[in-house]
Amino acid sequence: MYGDLINALPTVLTVANFAAIVIGVIAGIVVGALPGLSATMAISVLVPFTFGLDPLVALGLMAGIYNGAMYGGAIPAILLRIPGTPAAVATCFDGYPMAQQGKGGYALQVAVVSSSIGGIASALALMLLAPPLSRVTLLFGPSEIFWIAVFGLSSVVFLLGKHVVKGLISAASGVLVSSVGADPILGVDRFTFGQLELLDGINIVILLVGLYALPPVIDLLEKPLKTDALGTGKLHTQSLLTSLPSMFRFWRTWLRSSLFGIWIGILPGAGGSMAAFLSYNEARRASKTPETWGQGEPEGIAASETANNADTAAALIPALTLGIPGTAVAAVMMGGLLIHGLQPGPMLFRENPDVVFGFMWQFLFGAILLIFLGGSLATNNFARVLRLPRPLLGAMIIVLMLVGVYSIHGRMFDVYLMLGFGAIGYLMDKLDFPLPPVVLGLILGGFAEENLRLALRIGQGDWSILWHNVTSQLLIVLTIGVVFGPGILRRIRGKRGKDGGDADGNPTP
Amino acid sequence: MKSPMRGLLSGLTILGLSAAPALAEYPEKPIEIIVGYSAGGGTDVLARTVGGYLEKALGGEASVVVKNMPGAGGQIGFTAVAQAKPDGYTLGTFNLPAALALTLDREADYDADSFTYLANFVKDPNTIVVSKESGIESLKDLLDRAAKEPGRVTMGLSALGGNDHFAGILMESAAGVDVSFVPFKGAANARAAIMGGHVMEGTMTLGQTVGYEDNLRVLAVLDTERSPFAPDVPTAKELGYDVEMGSYRGLVAPAGLPDAVREKLVTALRAVNDNPEFQKTMVEQGNPASFVAGEDFAALAGKQATVAGKIWNATPWK
Repeated sequence: MYGDLINALPTVLTVANFAAIVIGVIAGIVVGALPGLSATMAISVLVPFTFGLDPLVALGLMAGIYNGAMYGGAIPAILLRIPGTPAAVATCFDGYPMAQQGKGGYALQVAVVSSSIGGIASALALMLLAPPLSRVTLLFGPSEIFWIAVFGLSSVVFLLGKHVVKGLISAASGVLVSSVGADPILGVDRFTFGQLELLDGINIVILLVGLYALPPVIDLLEKPLKTDALGTGKLHTQSLLTSLPSMFRFWRTWLRSSLFGIWIGILPGAGGSMAAFLSYNEARRASKTPETWGQGEPEGIAASETANNADTAAALIPALTLGIPGTAVAAVMMGGLLIHGLQPGPMLFRENPDVVFGFMWQFLFGAILLIFLGGSLATNNFARVLRLPRPLLGAMIIVLMLVGVYSIHGRMFDVYLMLGFGAIGYLMDKLDFPLPPVVLGLILGGFAEENLRLALRIGQGDWSILWHNVTSQLLIVLTIGVVFGPGILRRIRGKRGKDGGDADGNPTP
Repeated sequence: MKSPMRGLLSGLTILGLSAAPALAEYPEKPIEIIVGYSAGGGTDVLARTVGGYLEKALGGEASVVVKNMPGAGGQIGFTAVAQAKPDGYTLGTFNLPAALALTLDREADYDADSFTYLANFVKDPNTIVVSKESGIESLKDLLDRAAKEPGRVTMGLSALGGNDHFAGILMESAAGVDVSFVPFKGAANARAAIMGGHVMEGTMTLGQTVGYEDNLRVLAVLDTERSPFAPDVPTAKELGYDVEMGSYRGLVAPAGLPDAVREKLVTALRAVNDNPEFQKTMVEQGNPASFVAGEDFAALAGKQATVAGKIWNATPWK
């Protein structure tokens, strides 16, 4: 198999195939940076057009877009507190405070370097370990995946914000939104009010754009003359070579978050946002100074951006080896393969090794190119965007949002839905309800429900199926440790010395 | 993103036509094929392949554009076709029994009579599969086990209310056993659950088992005769169970299509099917061809509607 890998390299390095990756990465960064446009959408628009292209050119474009968009999403997340893609939500936590402190340039550099490292780690996992990792995927049945979802949901504890009750209300409303549409087992309509458009549930991008992008835009329009570090458009960017050495202290986070991203990637259904949330929380837990997190800690950006890029190529492991479209992006990429008559699955490796291994190389090159293209292109040019008058910037973003949301399915219904979420998001913002739990609730609520119900169907209603095997038991222990561990540790420390009580402050983003 | 593009295309066509009015014969503008699923799925690839050959078969300036309208399990697309003007410029892909099953378990704005049936291209029969590691060697092994432990044998499938589910129900009643259906999101997830041993058996179409021979054992094909794709696998009928179920993919137009247009389209689609190059592409794509055109296709749809209706009445799934 490694022989095939080497054999595929020369083809990838031909001009057309390599240019496709470069164009893809640049397009991906732009698409990711524009709120409302996501990698999924860009690739699904692209797929029909690739019908006539050479497969590797088409796949190179897709690999580039996927990698580029995962970083691109960080740009507005850092500069405007608007996550460009769902996976960039956790990047806002520390990215935006850094930009406000005039360190936006450094924040973007941390994001691009981390994205690139995550992407490279993920591509290597895909190239070298795809077959063994696909066996890991098979180990996870509905009950195991249910516990993964619970593990992910448990991290909501750290996203609740200052008011625990408000945070829980946010999380619960996210889960409520996840239940809209045909129920995952019987197909019974829930909260669809007879609208066919709601039958497939609410697309995460629609919720995200409404909730996250509209309130800051309204803020841009409300206060047309606000001047802070952002208003002057100064990011205080140093050359990447100067700032790079200061990032090497993140190596532990890079490693941990890469592993997290890859792990979440090979599990069907979870996706980059969950990888970013989880690795952000784990990195903060491991940090010596958790209290600085959420106030502009560059390591937080490193954690989230490494993980969401480490999810990319790894998500293709189940897609390529087992034909399972684990995430929306992987699903449209499989479409890109199918349209060229390449059926994902074991025989893809046997019958078209040149294409499948070439595709893997393209992922690796895409991730490496990210650092050059993202570093030079994005950091400086996007700073200029911020120098635009605030009302103009706001108006431009609104147009992009409307176009982006419309183009997901090509229907106005989604646009109205997005505007509705925008109104809710505006109110939540004013009333201090935290937004990240809503996103987490929407992503993981449906995921948990579907797998719980599948598991119970397999167990014929017997709940003990949920803790019948070792994988499930390990996951349960892990979840309990994450939720109660910090409290128990605090109590033990508190008994030892009285000053332990000071460190009681819940770490909040 | 696509509609301005289409507007531009049709605009250009109109310009071209006003310059040459002699071409006022069907088709005088682009024909649109509505696909109820997203780009790159099996149905979409079929539409694009057929579309390409159809352009050639119709000859002249004919152009065929594929439009994806995914959502609600295909229902949004099927509804759009049913409600389109029957002028021959809107066609749609049609999946049996899925399209008609939707009219049973949901409120739908169309039924079997809302369409003009042009041609069916693919028939992919359902199979009964187990993991190679399951220790189950034959359909008899499996059914013995199901008979011994009623309700304990779990069967993975892609969704309730589709050909997989119908295959499961028909097999269940033919063998007089009781199994538990576990509807995963899509055939790929069901297949992974079977391979990982999370469910004991499963059903999917033969096309969906291709390439997984190392992990899956196909026990039976639910068809009247053996498939050229798997000549060693017995049919359920040979084994004594008269069960036939599969997934059909074809092309329809809205009901009330003028006869002249219908004739022209059916003839052109026949020519597509007779093209050896097209047949070669179909085999490459793993599509078991089964060409049925015009009245015969309408009869097939009627038969499928009856089967689905019977199943729904006997064992409604929601």
